[in-house]
Amino acid sequence: MALIELRDVTKAYRRDAIEIPVLERVTLSVSEGDFLGLMGPSGSGKSTLLNLLAGIDRPSSGSIVIGGTDISGLSEGALAGWRARHIGFIFQLYNLIPVLTAFENVELPLLLTSLSKKQRRDHVMTALDIVGLGDRTKHYPRQLSGGQEQRVAIARAIVTDPTLLLADEPTGDLDAKSAAEVLVLLRRLNSEFKKTIIMVTHDPHAAERATHVVHLEKGTLAESMEVT
Amino acid sequence: MKLLGLIVKSARRSKRRTALTVMSVAVAVFLFASLRAILDGFNAAAAASSSTRIITIRSTSLIFAMPSSHTQTIRSIPGVRDITWANWFGGIYKDPNNFFAQFAIDAESYLRLYPEIELSASEREAFFADRTGAIVGDGLAQRFGFKVGDRIVLQVGIPTYGSQDFTFTIRGIYRAGAAAVDNQSMFFHWKYADERSIEAGQIGWFVVEIANPDAAAQVSAAIDQKFSNTPYETKTDTEQQFASSFVSMFGNLNVLLGSIGLAIVLTTLFVAGNTMAMSVRERTTEIAVMRTLGFPARAIFLFIAGEGLLISIVGGLLGAGLAWAIVDGQNFGVSGGFVPPFGVTGRNVLIGVALSALIGVLAGAVPATMASRLKIVDALRRVA
Amino acid sequence: MGLVANYNLRSMIARKGTAAMTAMGIAMVVAVFVMTLAIAQGFQKTLVSSGSPDNAIVLRKGATAENVSAVARTQLPLIESLPQVARGDDGKPLASPELVVIIALPRFSNNQTANVPVRGVGPRAFQVRESLKFVEGRPLTPGTREINVGRLAVGRFQGLTLGSDVRFASQTWKVVGVFSGDDAAFESEVWGDVDLMIPAFQRNGYQSVTVKLTDASAFESFESVIADDPRLDLRPQREIAFYADQSRVMTTVIRVFGTFVTAILAIGAMFGAMNTMYAAVAYRKREIGTLRALGFTRRRIVAAFLAESIALALIGGVIGCLLALPVHGLSTGTTNMASFSEVAFKFRITPALLGGGLLFAALMGAAGGLLPAIGAARIPIARALREI
Repeated sequence: MALIELRDVTKAYRRDAIEIPVLERVTLSVSEGDFLGLMGPSGSGKSTLLNLLAGIDRPSSGSIVIGGTDISGLSEGALAGWRARHIGFIFQLYNLIPVLTAFENVELPLLLTSLSKKQRRDHVMTALDIVGLGDRTKHYPRQLSGGQEQRVAIARAIVTDPTLLLADEPTGDLDAKSAAEVLVLLRRLNSEFKKTIIMVTHDPHAAERATHVVHLEKGTLAESMEVT
Repeated sequence: MKLLGLIVKSARRSKRRTALTVMSVAVAVFLFASLRAILDGFNAAAAASSSTRIITIRSTSLIFAMPSSHTQTIRSIPGVRDITWANWFGGIYKDPNNFFAQFAIDAESYLRLYPEIELSASEREAFFADRTGAIVGDGLAQRFGFKVGDRIVLQVGIPTYGSQDFTFTIRGIYRAGAAAVDNQSMFFHWKYADERSIEAGQIGWFVVEIANPDAAAQVSAAIDQKFSNTPYETKTDTEQQFASSFVSMFGNLNVLLGSIGLAIVLTTLFVAGNTMAMSVRERTTEIAVMRTLGFPARAIFLFIAGEGLLISIVGGLLGAGLAWAIVDGQNFGVSGGFVPPFGVTGRNVLIGVALSALIGVLAGAVPATMASRLKIVDALRRVA
Repeated sequence: MGLVANYNLRSMIARKGTAAMTAMGIAMVVAVFVMTLAIAQGFQKTLVSSGSPDNAIVLRKGATAENVSAVARTQLPLIESLPQVARGDDGKPLASPELVVIIALPRFSNNQTANVPVRGVGPRAFQVRESLKFVEGRPLTPGTREINVGRLAVGRFQGLTLGSDVRFASQTWKVVGVFSGDDAAFESEVWGDVDLMIPAFQRNGYQSVTVKLTDASAFESFESVIADDPRLDLRPQREIAFYADQSRVMTTVIRVFGTFVTAILAIGAMFGAMNTMYAAVAYRKREIGTLRALGFTRRRIVAAFLAESIALALIGGVIGCLLALPVHGLSTGTTNMASFSEVAFKFRITPALLGGGLLFAALMGAAGGLLPAIGAARIPIARALREI
């Protein structure tokens, strides 16, 4: 069985009296261990799809089953808990909390667990080591470069060992060198650590790193392609 | 007026913040106006004192009596035109908590010297004719639901008046024509109290009308001189001094209420100033754009300061208006009679609104200055 | 709570200017609160500390205050001889027949006339009231026109210093001693020999008798013996209870006034706190979205922001308490309407009062922060994340 099953997912936004359709009957399967690239022009609904997968947003209709759980039926509170356990999100603008150090930012998701302080520390250091920033724990986001911030964000995303990593234009704000570093890291997380990753991007170079690529156009999926 | 339009639009953008600030200033001005009204209430009697009335009491203190023989002596002093007297009765109406002032007076002369006690001719006649009659102020009548013809029973409070209850019939309800008299009191006949007193002919205080207001000090001294070195020495003062000393009994109200007023102003300055600063911070880009379009620094200053002033004044009008509508000392009935009646006057309202304008100016000064000094380059670079 | 400690508090400190202004607004309200209630507290203490637990004061039945009471001279021996009354070393009963009147003396502060209480006391008055000590001079000699003055009265009313000749009731009296007693109301009084004062003030009997009981528990039997005696139309009260009652109306008026004023002022400060929190939430929308995306529930977000608002308010509360502290011990006075006499007392701030001030601050913070905190949690996550 696939890890992720989307069936006839539709999403429309309401702006005053007008309904704006964003996703139209999307059906998609993702297997465990996949590194899926989600591409499409701006306004195609890629980020919306990612948000639905993360449980940050709800579909207007259709079902989303992840790891056997139909998340479209969960309550707000249950979704929060589910998200904490199963999802690692990486944002284009990093979204680190400015008043927390790198260490504390990575520790954030662990505050939702019942781990002891020492256990949390071990997890955080492991994650930071994987992304190569074990020596920058006490730095604040404003003291880090863009690439470093994103790597801290990735550490935060993996620290709970989630079922699924979702990345929304992770290299969109980075220079070429940092972007390459981040993509290498993501590739490694997928091939070495067997993490299932879905990455939204408009950068073909980034998409090259993925194992599969699908295209979204005006809210519907075009044919998928496999990339080796 | 274009600036005003711009300011109004800007204030409406963040409706919630504007509303909260307006309400904050309104609350402050409401309080300020109310406190001023209380202070004015306390000072009202002294302020409305007659310049031709002087009060004679025992020099030992107010609680001691003088013999009625003093009356003729005082009358004979040059400069004295008329005289009346009164005693504090201190009776209990059903329960000690129902406190109100009761005076035993020489009715005809008292009403003559106090034209501020306004009573219809028929009620006046009825009162004079009834030995156990009484008149009550309209405020007192409202408080207890008294009507003309009602019988009131007062228990003796001060032992000098014996131990039997006193029964009165209300013969009239008076209005207080000026603040020199309040409308929360009851007046009855001195003779009725005197005939039941353990010691007859005891008078609490004299009210003396003098022919010439400028001669007040002189006549007062003459009266006191007459009784010095006798067992019943007197002290005579103008009605104003007498009234003022009552106010000072409570303590230094000016300082107390003044300090609270200051605290109110400071609190509001912090709140309003904070709002203005926040609003400037949020609009840095907008301000920069306005500068690039050619608005001079001075225009920016007026724009921000103007918004602060507008919000504050609206709040001030709201608060002062509310105070004027709601605050009426009678509604509070606190300690029934010790706190003089007070109400928010037009003057209090004006002071309140002026205060809000001051707050608006002070609170807006720093943010407006900073906004006008903003370098366009810095502003555009800054992410909100 | 790790989230709150790190995230919320640091975020609050990051916006120092706004936080400081909001805290100061709350500080002012708490300062007014503490200061006005310190007046009530001080007034009450002065009156209540006039009472001693094993003393009782006997007044006429139905008299609500000393100045409307009357105790006949013939009734004194009947009271003094009761077994519940303690005896001194010389075997004489520790009872003091008393009379209180007002004399008019000018105040130092504004030269206006004050109602100064003058208390005629029996020869054993200072034994009945052991807590009073002489700081200058000596006790008055019974049978003479010597008077003793309370320390606070000396400082408040003109002409009462040691050695002064004071003229009242058409006679001259000499101050031979100044006493003090833990800021008791007695310190605002002038004491003299009651048997000389009665004729001087043209009175014809005592108003009250204060006795020292053999023991505080003897009060009940003291009370019933007096009630059963038809010659005594009198009623005893525990001294402390009596003075507590005397202070009741004024204390209530001051407290009600103080609470009312600060409550209204608090509403204004609360609006300020609300404004600040709304702005903070707006400023940190993306962070809130991130936290929720990470899995922090709505409830935790609300709790965290509420805690931030309360913490900020508490800081204001501490500042307010500090601002108010200097008034502690400040001398002031007012006229106790129950006795019509002026009482000097001091502002009195107690730990309980400070605690109340802090609680009040916390309430302001909670009230001001609640709606913004709820608003913070309600923004749809996707929308919050889109904010620049």
